[in-house]
Amino acid sequence: MDYILFLLYPLSLVRPRFMLPALALHAFLIVTSALQFGRIPLIGMHDTLGFLAFAIGVIYLITAWNRERDLFTYLTLPLIMIFLAGSVVSPPVTHGMPPVLKTIWFELHVILSFVSYALFAIGAVFGLLALYDDDVRAESNQYRSLLLGYVLFSIAMIFGGIWAFLAWGTYWLWTPKELWTTIVWLFYGLYLHARLVRGWSGPKVTWMGIFGFVIVLFTYAGVGLLMKSSHEF
Amino acid sequence: MYNFFRSLKTTVWTLLGLVILFFIGSYLMPMHREVFSSMNDGLLFDWVENVASQNLWQTWWFFAALAGLMLLTINTLVCSWQSIRERWSRHDFLLRLSPQIIHLGFFFILLAHLLGAGWGYRLSGALPEGASAPLPEDRAIVVRNISASVDGNGSLTDWSAAIYVLEKGVRVKVGILGPNQPLFYKGVGFYLKSLSNEGMPVAHLMVNKDPGAIWALIGGILFMLGSITLLALKWKKA
Repeated sequence: MDYILFLLYPLSLVRPRFMLPALALHAFLIVTSALQFGRIPLIGMHDTLGFLAFAIGVIYLITAWNRERDLFTYLTLPLIMIFLAGSVVSPPVTHGMPPVLKTIWFELHVILSFVSYALFAIGAVFGLLALYDDDVRAESNQYRSLLLGYVLFSIAMIFGGIWAFLAWGTYWLWTPKELWTTIVWLFYGLYLHARLVRGWSGPKVTWMGIFGFVIVLFTYAGVGLLMKSSHEF
Repeated sequence: MYNFFRSLKTTVWTLLGLVILFFIGSYLMPMHREVFSSMNDGLLFDWVENVASQNLWQTWWFFAALAGLMLLTINTLVCSWQSIRERWSRHDFLLRLSPQIIHLGFFFILLAHLLGAGWGYRLSGALPEGASAPLPEDRAIVVRNISASVDGNGSLTDWSAAIYVLEKGVRVKVGILGPNQPLFYKGVGFYLKSLSNEGMPVAHLMVNKDPGAIWALIGGILFMLGSITLLALKWKKA
């Protein structure tokens, strides 16, 4: 069924709102997986990459509902397809939730993290649009995406801290993954503050918003693959 | 000097410096496990005194990051103080208040880390059923019974340990520990990390006293409230 998504998502090339069937099917697959394994489908690369593609799609649809097909679609669609392809080639986790992950704090932590990652992705796309067209509206949309992403990411970190404290008695560990999570948080904090500083605002800050997503990608995938941590993805 | 501490440029450069330092740290940590592996075992100040200060070639970034966080804290407080002193109008009251709430939340979170790094304790150990272990402050923990459930594949699906806490020899708290289910008594948390079977069921426990935890929670709540308010106001404006 996953493969049908590769046919449905590109319908947005006809008109952005034609992404709706792809998202409806994707939502159905996510819910089915949740019911099958009795847990939120956000364990391992297969689940999380698929959810990231879905979340980017939802934000794209909301943002592009009244837009015509343009560079925004040409940049966002490949991003969705890449994450979807990554999900399909990654082996799925087919067991239930380990006991330590059976808590609402974990579920909220992970869901909010990936929704914020999706907002950071859309923010980066708007950044490219702003640089390409010298478009003030795209710059403003980048700011709104990243501000919302930052707030959700902060809440995700707070919920993660509450979960870690209940599970292991500590809300913070000095590990590379936690350091990179902090790097993401500090970097977007830097973006939000730099916008207000003369000499930093403009293309420099727009580039920061784009580069931020590179840091997010490394934090999500790179750190998990290259560095040992309490996080597995 | 005051202008330096109240400047947004100081904020921006300090944040950039911290990003770079944490990047270096994340690279050095896995390369020097012998130095950093004990970083999370006990109090951070003990690690700083016994390990970090003896290995400055590998830990300099950590001390520089602490200095950066200190500068950022002063910068945050001075900026907030400056903003509070200025004349406020009813029209933009919330827009100007919410960043200060965020700053206060950030300050409490850092304060929590400071308290947790220097005070309290963290102990780990394994106890079989019926065994007890002494704790600081004239207390002790006793494991009454341990239970686990497994699924068809033999994987653990749940586990628990019934314990009680003694203070000056008197039973003061009784409870059941499980995954994400600690027991708290007078600011001390009792955790069941895992189980093993060594001829008899053994509970791997952790006892943790972190005086900063409550401040981290308060800071987190303030940060959330401030940022959600700011988001709502800025969203409209943008």
